[in-house]
Amino acid sequence: MSKAKPAALPPDTMIGGYRIIRKVAAGGFGVVYLALDAGGQQVAVKEYLPASLVTRGPGELAPTVPPDKLSLYRLGLKSFFEEGRALAQISHPSVVSVMNFFRENETVYMVMNYLEGAALQDFIMTARDLKQQKVFRESTIRSLFDEILRGLRIVHQHKMLHLDIKPANIFITDDNRSVLIDFGAAREVLSKEGNFIRPMYTPGFAAPEMYRRDSSMGPWTDIYAIGACIYACMQGYPPNEAPQRVEKDRIATALTRLRGIYSDNLIEVVEWCMALDPLSRPQSVFALQKELSREGERRYTKLSVAEKVRLQFDTMVTDTKKSTKSIASSVIKPK
Amino acid sequence: MKFSVFQVSRKGGRQLNEDRMGYSYTRASGILLLADGMGGHPEGEVAAQLALQAISALYQKQANPKIDDVPAFLAAGVMAAHRQIIKYAAEKGMLDTPRTTVVAALVQDGTASWVHCGDSRFYLVREGKLVTRTRDHSYMEQPPASLSAARAAERLNRNILFTCLGSPTKPVFDIAGPVALQQGDKIMLCSDGLWGSLDDDDIVHQLTVKAVVAAVPDLVESALQKAGATSDNVTVIALEWESPDEFETTRGAMLASNDISDSGFSSTVQAAPTAAEDDDLDDAAIERSIAEINEAIRRSAAKRR
Repeated sequence: MSKAKPAALPPDTMIGGYRIIRKVAAGGFGVVYLALDAGGQQVAVKEYLPASLVTRGPGELAPTVPPDKLSLYRLGLKSFFEEGRALAQISHPSVVSVMNFFRENETVYMVMNYLEGAALQDFIMTARDLKQQKVFRESTIRSLFDEILRGLRIVHQHKMLHLDIKPANIFITDDNRSVLIDFGAAREVLSKEGNFIRPMYTPGFAAPEMYRRDSSMGPWTDIYAIGACIYACMQGYPPNEAPQRVEKDRIATALTRLRGIYSDNLIEVVEWCMALDPLSRPQSVFALQKELSREGERRYTKLSVAEKVRLQFDTMVTDTKKSTKSIASSVIKPK
Repeated sequence: MKFSVFQVSRKGGRQLNEDRMGYSYTRASGILLLADGMGGHPEGEVAAQLALQAISALYQKQANPKIDDVPAFLAAGVMAAHRQIIKYAAEKGMLDTPRTTVVAALVQDGTASWVHCGDSRFYLVREGKLVTRTRDHSYMEQPPASLSAARAAERLNRNILFTCLGSPTKPVFDIAGPVALQQGDKIMLCSDGLWGSLDDDDIVHQLTVKAVVAAVPDLVESALQKAGATSDNVTVIALEWESPDEFETTRGAMLASNDISDSGFSSTVQAAPTAAEDDDLDDAAIERSIAEINEAIRRSAAKRR
C-alpha cells in the first residue's frame, strides 16, 4: 500500500488559462491549488486526481489510469461532476461558489472563489488553548451558525446533502463571513483498495445513520453534524463518535457541565440536533433555524450542589481525557 | 410540474419509531411514500424501510420520466415490497416475518393515483373539503357484512388489520385514481398516530388554512399532545399541488422538478446499497456534463447580478 501519491502540478503551470501559484490542499479526490486567472484574480482550482486510482510522475501533466481502474475512475468523475453541478446551481454567500469547470490534461478542473481566512477548526483550537470557561461566546456561536444554516438550507433545497459538515469544512473568511466548503468529499469515496465505494464519514460529526449503510439519510443527517459542530464550539473538542454513543451516551452529561455557562436553550438545541434517532432531530434546517433564532431572555440553570458532586464523581470514573483529544480532522475509511 | 412537500415524523411514547416516509420525483412525476412498521412482530422498522426502498427503486427504474402504466406500477411496487420483506425474513431465518403497512401516492400529468395496504392513510383535500381518503384494511373500517357499522365501532379494535405487507398471506391492497388535481389541492399520507387522535375534520381544517410547511408540523404536534404520553408515533408527509408556473414562490420546500434532466430523479429514500454500477461515461458524456455545469454557473451568475 506504499504507492506514491500522484504528483501535484508545479507552480507556474498554466491550465485552462489559470496560472498555478501553489498547492493548498490534497484529499482523496484530488488536489486544490491557489491560482491566478487571466485578470490576476486569485482563484482556487480543484483537480480531479483520485490518489488511489491514478499515477502521475513529477513534471507530467496528464495522469495515467491503469486499465483495471478505468471504470472506477469514471465513476469517481461522475461524483466530481455531481459536486460541480450542485454547486453551480447554488449562489449563496455561505456556500463556496463555482466559477468555471473545464477539461484538460485528460482530467477535469473546477474553479472556485479563493477564500482567505481560516477554518472554524483552527479558531476552536486557538480559543481552546486560552483555557477559558467558554470556548466561544454564545452570541458568536448563534450568529456563526445562523449564517451557515442559511447556506445549508439552500443546499438542501437543491436536493443535495453535504454529509461531511465539520469544523474543518466551515471556513471563516478574513472579512468575517462563514462559508461551507468541500462538497466533493461529501458524496462517496473510493476505497484504498480501489475496488468498491464506501460512504465517507468523520468520527464525532457523522450521524449514526451514516455508519449503517441501509438507513436513509436526509437533512437530519447534516443537522446532526451541525449539532456536533456547535458542541465542538462550546466544549473545544468534538463529541464522541456515534457508535460509542450507541454503546454508552455521555453527551448528555457533557452538556450538563455547560449549564450556567451556555443558555439552556442552546444546550437543548444541541441535544435535539444530536439525537441518535434521526426522526427525533429537527427534520429540516428551517425548524432548526426557528429554534436557534428564538429571541427572548435566555435562561441559565446553574447546577445544584448535588449535581456538581455527581458530575465530579463521574469525572473521576470516566476520565474524559479532555486535554488529549483533538478535533477530528482526519477522514476514516471503514475497512 | 410544481409542488411543495413537507414531511415530519415524531416519536410518541413508544420506544422505537417504526414509521418511515420519503418521496422521489423526476421532472414529470413524483411519488410520496409512507410505511408504518407493525408492532407485535419483529423488526417493524426494517419492514417499513424495505417497503419504501422497494417501491422507490421500482419507481426510479420505471419513471422515464413518467410511469407508463400507473395502476400496474402501483401493484407491482406493493408486491415487490412484500417480496423483499419475505426474502429478508427468509435470509435471516426469522421465525416470524417483519410486517408493515404502506401507502403511496403517485402524481403525474396533473393527476394523483394511490395505493394502500393496512391503516396508513391517503387524504386528498380541496378547498376546505375532503375529496377522498382511503378506507383502512381494518375490521373497524371495513367490518364483516354480519356486523353493522355502529356495532363494529364499539366492538372492534381499530388496530386490528386484516392485511399488511410481510405476512405469509398475500397482501390485499387498493388502487385508486387517477384524480385530476387543481391548484392548491393537498395530498397527505399519514400513519395511524395522526388519525388515531385527530378526526378528519381537524385534519382537513389544518390542511386548508395553512401551507403544508406549517400544517404538517402543527398537525403532528397536536396529535402528539392530544394522545399524551402514550402517543403512537406520528408521521405525516403532505404535498401541495401548484398549477404550472403561475407564480414563483420561495417557500421552504418548494420543488420545481423542471430543472431535473430527462433521466434524472431525486429521492429522499436511499436505495439499497449497490455494487459499483456499470458506467457509460464516454467522452461525449463528459463534454456534455461540463457544458451543463458551465451553463448552470452562467445562470447562477446572472441571477446574482
